[in-house]
Amino acid sequence: MNVTTEQEAYLEAVRRALADLDPAVRDELLEDLPEHFAEVAAEGDATLVERLGPPEAYAAELRTAAGLGVVTTPTARGFDDRIAAVVRRARGVVGAADRKTGPLLGYGRASEFLRMLTPAWWVLRGYLAAMAITWMTSNGNEAGLLPRLGGSTLAATLLLAVCLVGSIWLGRREPTLSSTPRTGLAIGGVALVLFGLVVFDKADTYGGGWDQPQSVSGNPYEYIQDVYVYDSNGNPLTDVSLYDQGGNPIQLGDPYRCQEAFYQAQAGAPMYPYCPNQRPYVVAPRAGQVEEPQAEPTEVAPTVDPSETPPPPTTTPTPTPTGTN
Amino acid sequence: MRSSFSTVDTTQLLKGVLDLAVLAVLKDEDGYGYDILRRLRTAGLDEVGDASVYGTLRRLFQAGLLTTYVVPSEEGPHRKYYGLNAAGRDQLNRAGKTWRTFASTMDGLLDERGVAA
Repeated sequence: MNVTTEQEAYLEAVRRALADLDPAVRDELLEDLPEHFAEVAAEGDATLVERLGPPEAYAAELRTAAGLGVVTTPTARGFDDRIAAVVRRARGVVGAADRKTGPLLGYGRASEFLRMLTPAWWVLRGYLAAMAITWMTSNGNEAGLLPRLGGSTLAATLLLAVCLVGSIWLGRREPTLSSTPRTGLAIGGVALVLFGLVVFDKADTYGGGWDQPQSVSGNPYEYIQDVYVYDSNGNPLTDVSLYDQGGNPIQLGDPYRCQEAFYQAQAGAPMYPYCPNQRPYVVAPRAGQVEEPQAEPTEVAPTVDPSETPPPPTTTPTPTPTGTN
Repeated sequence: MRSSFSTVDTTQLLKGVLDLAVLAVLKDEDGYGYDILRRLRTAGLDEVGDASVYGTLRRLFQAGLLTTYVVPSEEGPHRKYYGLNAAGRDQLNRAGKTWRTFASTMDGLLDERGVAA
């Protein structure tokens, strides 16, 4: 086992055993111990536990010799005692879970494994901080997966680099900080994780949206209300029936769209257009021709046979939008 | 089999006199925690516990008997040195006298009854 890690783990265990002390008193009490453990480790190959006994016993001896009771603030005793009892019980449960899940991960304790992930947390924290800065400066509009400050990828890279280095630096310095900044760091970390959950959920929803067609339903003809058919001369056809390749009538649009259609609506193949008077194009009138061929029942196939309609090249009518007519 | 009531082991005695012992080894020269521990062991107090010495140092400092200063170490953590201040020297003298009186009383008591030294 890494010597430094062993000393840190022992120190941490002693710290835990003194958890009920006032943090300031405890920190003062622990101040000399890194030096002590380093001296002990330098003396021989024995582990700290072999040389000094279990950390809990060490902590008890330290506490007694320093003349410190179990509870340092007698005025707050009742409340503190209850809190301490809850904390002790929770610690017991967590400790048991720690020992039980450790072997599943291939370690004696799960915390040993988690401790190795600490630098990974520093990196994640830096990334989340960059995301939070971007999110706050853009009033919550930037919710991608890169902290694009002001929409710039270059700014994103720089901001990310600064935040990652800062977070790692902070992580390495953390053990030397006193308890107040450490508490601040812990609260900040939790806040960043919560922020991350919200933003990633948002980003995930946006991302999912791109995979789906923009139309509200799968039917691309849903907007169609009526069908107008023109022959190659531009003349509108009326009472047209449409069939698919299997001979089934094609039902499109809204047969009750207008008064005329309402009376025509019946069982069988729908006749298009439902509302001939509302057609979008009319043929520009030519000399010697009736203005509009009136509706005559003509059954035609949807595709007009080209041989039937040889258009005179000079008389091709120009379809004109109704609106400008 | 010895009864635990009649056993006076060094650990029990140490509890009463560790303060005095620590003050005494600091009389001529300041020292850091582990250094003080070594001085006590060299002087024959083999059974003194590591944590007891560190805890005692902490308590004596709290009581205003010690001064302290940090000396950077080239390898490993910085060392916190402890030294006696005026109150500490005073305490050492008084507690030393108390101990000597007590010790000679006990010696006389045991001598009178012919208990082997």
